[in-house]
Amino acid sequence: MSTAIFPLAIASEEVRLLTAIGLGFLFGFSLERAGFGNARKLAAQFYLYDMTVFKVMFTAILVAMVGLYTLAGLGLADLSLMWINPTFMWAQVIGGFLFGAGFIMSGLCPGTSVVSAASGRIDAVVTFLGIFIGTAVFALVVDFVPGVEALYNGGSMGVSVIPEILSVSTPLFMLGVVIVAGAAFVGAEKVESIFQRKYGMVEHAPKVTRRTPRLKFAVAGSLALVAVFAAFVPPPNVDLPARPMETIEPLDLAELIIAGDPDLKILDFRTVAGQAGSNAIPGSCSCGTDVDKAAETAASVPPGTKIVIYDEFGIWNEVPGSWPESVEYRYVRGGYAAWETDVRTAAETTGHTLAERERIERQNQISAFFTGAAAAQSSSVAAPPPAMPMGGGAKKKKAGGC
Amino acid sequence: MEAKRYWNPYVAGALLGLTLLATFLVAGQGLGATALPKRTLALAAHEVAPAWTEANPSIGGYVADGQNPLRNWLVVEVIGVVIGGFLGAMSAGRFHVKVEKGPRISTRSRLRYALGGGVVMGIAAALARGCTSGQALSGGAMLATGSWAFMMMVFAGGYAFAYLVRRQWI
Repeated sequence: MSTAIFPLAIASEEVRLLTAIGLGFLFGFSLERAGFGNARKLAAQFYLYDMTVFKVMFTAILVAMVGLYTLAGLGLADLSLMWINPTFMWAQVIGGFLFGAGFIMSGLCPGTSVVSAASGRIDAVVTFLGIFIGTAVFALVVDFVPGVEALYNGGSMGVSVIPEILSVSTPLFMLGVVIVAGAAFVGAEKVESIFQRKYGMVEHAPKVTRRTPRLKFAVAGSLALVAVFAAFVPPPNVDLPARPMETIEPLDLAELIIAGDPDLKILDFRTVAGQAGSNAIPGSCSCGTDVDKAAETAASVPPGTKIVIYDEFGIWNEVPGSWPESVEYRYVRGGYAAWETDVRTAAETTGHTLAERERIERQNQISAFFTGAAAAQSSSVAAPPPAMPMGGGAKKKKAGGC
Repeated sequence: MEAKRYWNPYVAGALLGLTLLATFLVAGQGLGATALPKRTLALAAHEVAPAWTEANPSIGGYVADGQNPLRNWLVVEVIGVVIGGFLGAMSAGRFHVKVEKGPRISTRSRLRYALGGGVVMGIAAALARGCTSGQALSGGAMLATGSWAFMMMVFAGGYAFAYLVRRQWI
């Protein structure tokens, strides 16, 4: 089941159409407040002394785009249930150019002609009438003039979005759009102020001595959008290369355990089957084979902690790239098998050199400690801490389990 | 009454963007304007020549299912635009019955240009399957490839012809 709550599934057709009135109202109202009820202000876009069309349109596109794709990215909106304009490249390229020509002739586009007509402008009413005529002309032309239907369906690409065409991720593409638009806003403010000296301002527009510092507004708004955007974009999930890991001898580990080193954390990476039939290294906690869970543990311990990992035979000898670098990692040479033979088994008593006899002595003491024979031989060392099943490895630290 | 100032374009743009976003989330589609003329035409043509209308590539789809083509979200939305535009203009002291034009052109010429521009836009919007609202704004925010192509070409066409009609505006 999809968790998306948008687009809303409105059962009642009447309620759905009521939302159209409300959203249409907001659409018309914001166009009017932007100055789009005035054909002169719209036309000024093409003589460069009032770039309001560009500024309003791109601000709206940025807001809706970032909002929509952020909600889609969070799983709250399902784009597959929305109607996205299908691409008919030739029809839209030629239609767009023709539309631009009509736009500068009339000074209005279909949506703004509705707003302008509602503001009482007669030229807007005439424009809207013209749009009706043009729509009828096309319906006739597409049927009776050869080749027009081919153009109408020309360059069909179905539902196509630009990030797909460019093979870039949608967040990255949107970030690019936000940055380019932000730069274009700043440029538009400059161009506008240059050409205003030439042509003056459109009536009802803000006076040349502005109260609202729009250039600063453009910069601040763009930066805010980038910031909002950056907060929503998840960090790229780069696979860092694994690092080689150094070993620790089972006997050395055993001594660290006996000494009660507070910085020691032992992670048991044997498979469940491997753990079932045998003991574990005392104080270790079981991670199973969950590397991500272990990465969380590694990230939660304070810097300087020594993390020792072991598996059955000491096969695992690399630090996964996702594990933090502030921690020291070692793997038990030979794994648990070596622990069994080196630590939990008493050594042969025959040694020829002094060094060898010392090693045997040491192994015997340690093995006695870990096999429970300690009490008989030496009362100076305490009993070993029991192996913790999950998450109890180092009780003294806040760092939780595996 | 002295007219109020227009809003800061970035503030007006943000409100427009939020409205568009809400439209995506509520209606599952964008805003539009040319649906009203196209669907009205489909309704009228269907009365006169039903078979021809149903087979027409441009408007046939609106009458194919036997429903009233005006019973549509985008058509009702345009009614909302009329109300919003009217109340917006009234509340700002900008409602005037007049012809908007540059200082160097007669009213008659201005209205000819307005009609001609409307006809050209009607043809172009029908060809491109949308106008500045349905294609450039709505499709643009959804990152639709054809909508961005349309938007770029609208600006290109506007700048290309601006010099020819400059007498009308400046």
